[in-house]
Amino acid sequence: MAQFTIPDRNRTREMRYQMGYALADLASHYPDVVAVDADLRSSSGLHIFEHFHPAKLVKVGIAEQNMIAVSAGLSQEGYIPFACTFDAFCRRFMDQLYISVAYSNLNVKVLGAYVGLFTGKAGATHQSDKELGLLLRIPNLRVVEPGFNAEMRQVLRTAAETPGPFYIRIVRCEVEENEIDETYRFQLGKGITIVQDQNPEIGLVCTGCMIRTAKIAAEKLRRKGIRVRVDHHPSLKPFDKDLVYEMASRVRGIVTLENHCVSGGLFSLVAEALALEGKQIPVGAIGTDPEDFIHTGHVNDLLAHNKMTSEDVVEKACAVLETAAGGIE
Amino acid sequence: MRNDFKRMQVSKFWRPFRTDPTRFQEVFPYHENYKMLVENTDTLAYFMRSYTVYQMTCAALGHPGGSFSEVETLAVLFNYVLRFDPKNSKWPERDVFYLSKCHACPALYSVLALFGYFDIRELAQYGAWDSRLESHPDSSRTPGIEISGGSLGQIPGVAVGRALGIHRRGPDHASRMVYVLIGDGECNEGSVWEAFMAAGHYRLDNLVFLIDYNKVQAKGFLKDDMGIEPLADKLAAFNLNVWEVQNGHNMAELIDLFNVLYTQRRGKPNAVILNTVKGEKVGCCQYNPNWHTSAPRDIRTAQEWLFEIWQRDGRRLGVPEEFPKRLGEAIVIVPPLHDNPDPVIEKQA
Repeated sequence: MAQFTIPDRNRTREMRYQMGYALADLASHYPDVVAVDADLRSSSGLHIFEHFHPAKLVKVGIAEQNMIAVSAGLSQEGYIPFACTFDAFCRRFMDQLYISVAYSNLNVKVLGAYVGLFTGKAGATHQSDKELGLLLRIPNLRVVEPGFNAEMRQVLRTAAETPGPFYIRIVRCEVEENEIDETYRFQLGKGITIVQDQNPEIGLVCTGCMIRTAKIAAEKLRRKGIRVRVDHHPSLKPFDKDLVYEMASRVRGIVTLENHCVSGGLFSLVAEALALEGKQIPVGAIGTDPEDFIHTGHVNDLLAHNKMTSEDVVEKACAVLETAAGGIE
Repeated sequence: MRNDFKRMQVSKFWRPFRTDPTRFQEVFPYHENYKMLVENTDTLAYFMRSYTVYQMTCAALGHPGGSFSEVETLAVLFNYVLRFDPKNSKWPERDVFYLSKCHACPALYSVLALFGYFDIRELAQYGAWDSRLESHPDSSRTPGIEISGGSLGQIPGVAVGRALGIHRRGPDHASRMVYVLIGDGECNEGSVWEAFMAAGHYRLDNLVFLIDYNKVQAKGFLKDDMGIEPLADKLAAFNLNVWEVQNGHNMAELIDLFNVLYTQRRGKPNAVILNTVKGEKVGCCQYNPNWHTSAPRDIRTAQEWLFEIWQRDGRRLGVPEEFPKRLGEAIVIVPPLHDNPDPVIEKQA
């Protein structure tokens, strides 16, 4: 399979390539793991999987609906299919995922690659920032967005070992090997507090690779003398509401950070949870614009346009704290 | 349930042709039991059609046209072709049957009940709150249903994945077959052709696409809404072995076709065009798009349908007139379980 370059495992930090390696490892460990590709393997990282397990890669051609349907059928014969295409194309197979996979509660794992803004100059057609709006509302489906490579490996393993449908959001860009520490273990349905000052004023709630931005923003806030807490929520469905409530009882304001638009995703999960519990606390949102498409441009320009850098988080956090103070008066 | 079902037990007039449905044994026209197979399967089809009328009327819900057009195909599959175990619906060595035109599930529910997957009295609860028989099947609730569906065009692809999975499982699963019954209107969906393409590409000769070509889709005729001709040429061009059944309601023709298919593992998937009549055996429904959806309007209409089906089939097969009469009398339109404090009037289809 010399058609594509296989990146050096120890050098590449791109999550898509590490995903290819992680999936190949899983397939060595679990003989029933197969991957399903809709003609994007050297982009999604599945070419690495193919390099190690050529017979375990099922190709369906450029046919996303069929990719999910075929995965459903494979799972019914006891295989654990990991179907992988661009996250943006989940718009094309949403009904197959909803009916054939989720309604039937089949053991299909979907890897949505190239999520959000960190994707290169792809634009509205190949970048995705609205999809959680429906994915998070599909019964039986578990939705996870890992933030760094070590976590991504654990998420893949959890998906392989847990019966039922999964949707895993994978970024294309380079991420850290580990953003937390060696002892961290991903748990489905659990978030984790990764920065905890004494008597925190502002809480940052992040998911996926926005963990990096959240950590940088936390440092900047500290330098301004603001005490911070950061919670990382890789598991979006099921979602760790208890951790949100716990945070809300300790901080004066919250800012959510997501590599997605600020409606239907993490912000909505947090805001809905707080509203239902009657927790009155201002919540600011960092993410893309639900009313706009992702236009083509360098990721830096996209982040600047959508106000998603650590500077914007600091600004938002200060504004939220101001609102909170105003509320008290 | 308060009606006396004992007085019209089907088992008095019909029992499955095979004593052991986990086995397939070819029956050819020169075999002694061939005539019996044809008659027995015809009788099964008669009861399936009758119970389809019964459950649709109880539910005030259903798709009579497509349910009636597929009856004989389902009857032959379950009575003769498929290897399955009603007591163990997940038996790993079974043949797989998918109904892709899921709206036509009343006929499938009927045949599953008649083969003992669940109590035939459950048919009265089709579409009712808390019953296992959803308006479109739910595989997580109903025994014998291989996958949930209702949104058209998805299950042919699932069947491809299943056949591919069986193929990958190796020689011990080599004799297992996957059958998927697709609607003709359903072939308007592009995803169906994605499945055909993949099946041909992977040369899945353990897969049979059955196309219920009844010429009518939900709101009109295929030739007017979206024609699929030349169907045989298209299927052949997708690398499928194409078979045409002139009369999809002729039991002997269907049996003979499945006998041939049994020996046709030639490295290509099979596609069978079943020429059928939408609404077959109920005059007002035949070729009539208005009866794609809609249960019989009332119990009296349903009783007329039951009598008509008996006149066409039941009588010649030796079923007494008492049967459709009793079945018609047993119909109770299932009321909702809850009152609604708000003045919402929902007229059922």
